[in-house]
This record gives sequence, structure tokens and C-alpha cells, in this order.
Amino acid sequence: MSSEQAVRGAIQTHSKRVWRFGLALSGASDIADDLLQATALRALEKHHQVTSYERLDSWLMTICRSIWLNEIRARSVRKAQALSVTPEAQLVAPGPDSETNIFAAQVFTQVMQLPEAQRETVMLVFVEGYSYREAAVLLDVPIGTIMSRLSNARQKLKTVMQHDAADTVRRSGK
Amino acid sequence: MKFSDETLLAYLEGSLDEAEARAVENAVADDSALESRLMALDPFAPVVQQVFEAVPAEAPSIDLPAPNPPQSGAGLLRLLAVAASVAVIAASATFWATRPKALGWAEQAAIYQSLYSSDTIAELDNPPQRLDAQFALAEAQLGRSLNREVLENLPGLDLKRAQVLSFKGKPLVQIVFADAQGEPFAFCVIRQGPDAPAKDVNLAVLSGLATATWARDGYGYMLLGSDGQTDLSGELSVLTDAFTG
Repeated sequence: MSSEQAVRGAIQTHSKRVWRFGLALSGASDIADDLLQATALRALEKHHQVTSYERLDSWLMTICRSIWLNEIRARSVRKAQALSVTPEAQLVAPGPDSETNIFAAQVFTQVMQLPEAQRETVMLVFVEGYSYREAAVLLDVPIGTIMSRLSNARQKLKTVMQHDAADTVRRSGK
Repeated sequence: MKFSDETLLAYLEGSLDEAEARAVENAVADDSALESRLMALDPFAPVVQQVFEAVPAEAPSIDLPAPNPPQSGAGLLRLLAVAASVAVIAASATFWATRPKALGWAEQAAIYQSLYSSDTIAELDNPPQRLDAQFALAEAQLGRSLNREVLENLPGLDLKRAQVLSFKGKPLVQIVFADAQGEPFAFCVIRQGPDAPAKDVNLAVLSGLATATWARDGYGYMLLGSDGQTDLSGELSVLTDAFTG
């Protein structure tokens, strides 16, 4: 398989992950669309730089973030007056019952309202399953910074989750 | 420095003081095994993952330039292009087929449980209100009762702790017991979703532990003994009756 084919394959395989990361970075689904498209084109241009097909996902994430920071962020911030994120909770897929939907929307909103640095870290570690040290390399910060961002995020997520845990137990009649 | 699961959970819940939290963070920076343990214990990750893994609902569309097309309409070139695309498909199929096989939840849980020793559980004495909180969290995550009264009355086993782990975004609850010799014994429940097939009891030795697994109505269950020879039949008959769905 040539590096171009490998990169094309990786773009298709990881399109949802890159889109989600774009959403975490920008806080807006239309910008996530643009980021994914730009990331895919940039990755194809750079396919000859790929030496290992092992972690093309983190390579794509790095490209996506660099496009965000260097090319799109300033423009979007100007447009949206300092990234006041409007969480698009309708992106959350409908669950089996309305309580589940309300809870999922609350978690989604809470995550999207985290500061950008916490949001991108939560997305990489909690959602995409990168280890702390992998996320540290990807975001170019020390591992301790990853852990403290996650600790701060957990404190903010705690309120909505504890409330829900109590709720579910009550519903199941315990 | 060694950290108990309780300390790690307290870190994740934000209830350690500043100095203790820094000690955990410093240790994780040098110890990737500790990092994996801490990540596996994080009760927040599976919840956030479950919400976001379905976003976006459909694969987003991407416009990519076509791969280098054949230069002329010559029949031979077209044939070569077809042959090349078949080769690509074959190469991709081989690439996927030869990836290392992903471990299932039961194998992963057995690996984790096999790291438990009598020393691990000797320190696990949770006061009743702590157990109450653990069961409340675990039952909320699973969306079902854990029949605590049945678990507390399993003959020869002393209930030590319930903790929420996660496997591929699905909540996985591990309930730890000490047997009469103080050796670790565990019962795990995973929420697999309504479409998961039911499975009859299967006995196997995984990671050196005797195990029994079965699945009913969207939940998977697993009983793990303290070594490869543990006789699980007594506990198994009680638990398969209690966890029918």
C-alpha cells in the first residue's frame, strides 16, 4: 500500500474522530466541517511525509489542531466575539427514553462549555481513548498539565453526573 | 510509591488534598502502568464517551481529489487501473485481517483481575455508607439493580467493593470479594446494549483465573475465581438465578 492510499484510508476511517476533535476545538459544527475538510486535504498533500502507518489517527489530529490554531481560530474568534460556545445539544443522538436524552444533552452541554484547553483534552482522553502521555505529545504540553486539565473538567462535570446518578437509582426503585 | 485504588479514585473525584494530588500526578508521569490503572478507574470517561461517540450521527462528507486517473483511454491502461484497485482492496483487506485481534471485555477484565492479590483486598475494608455509594453509582451506570442482598450472602465470600470501570465506552462493574482464605474473587457485569445476543454459561481459564461468563438481555456477566482451579459452581448457581436479565 502506498502512503497516499494509507492516508486516504485513514481519512475515511477517522473522519468522525477528526470531526469531533474539530468540534471540541471550535465549539461549532460548521467549523468542525471546515476543519475536517481542510485536514483531509492537508494530510493528502503531506502523505509522502508519512513513515509509519501505525498512528495516522494522531497525525490527523495534530494537523487538524495546527490548522485550527494557525488559520481558523483568530477568524472564528473575531466572528463569534471570543468563542462564546453555543452548545449544539441537538447533535446528541436520541436515546431510549427522555431522561437519558436530557442527561446526554446535559453532559454534552457541560463538556462544550468547558474552556477550550479542557475541552480538547477531555475529547482526546475521555472520548477518543488517548492515554495521558499520548495526549500530552499531541497537545505539546507536559503530562501534568493534561492531568490537571482533566481534574478541573471533572469538578465541573461532577454536578450534572451526581445529580443523574441519584436520579437513575431513584427511578430503578432502589 | 504505591497508591491504592481508593486513593486513585479519591484523586479522580477531586477529594485528595493538593499535596496528595501532586504526588499522584508526579508518579503517573513516570509510571505508565499506574497511568493505565488510573484511566481504567475514571468514572467520568465512560459517561462522556457514551454521549460523544454517536456524534456526529453519520460519517461527515469529505471532498477529496480523485487519485491519479489513467492518462489515456487506452484499454490496457484501464485494465491496469482495475487490477490496481483490486490490489488496493486486497492489500487493505489483508491489513485489516492481520491487525492484532482486539481483546473482548471478559479477557480484559480477567487480565485486570489477575493483578489482584490477597494484599490488594486486605486493605479494602469499606464502611457500609461507602459501599452504599459505590453500589448507587454502579447501578446508575448499568441501569439495573446489582441484587446486593444476594451478593452479600454468597456463602464463603466477603463483599469488599464495587467499582465502575469501562470497556470501549460501556460501563463495566467489578465487584470484589475475599474468599475464606482472603484470596480475591470477583463478579463483573457489563452493559452491552439491547441488541447483544444471549449466551449460555461458558467456563474458561483466562489469565490464570477460573472464569464463568454468560449474557442475558443486554448484560454480560462474569465470575472470576482466585486461581485456575477455583470451583465456581456454588456461586454460579446462585448468580445465574439472581441475574436472569
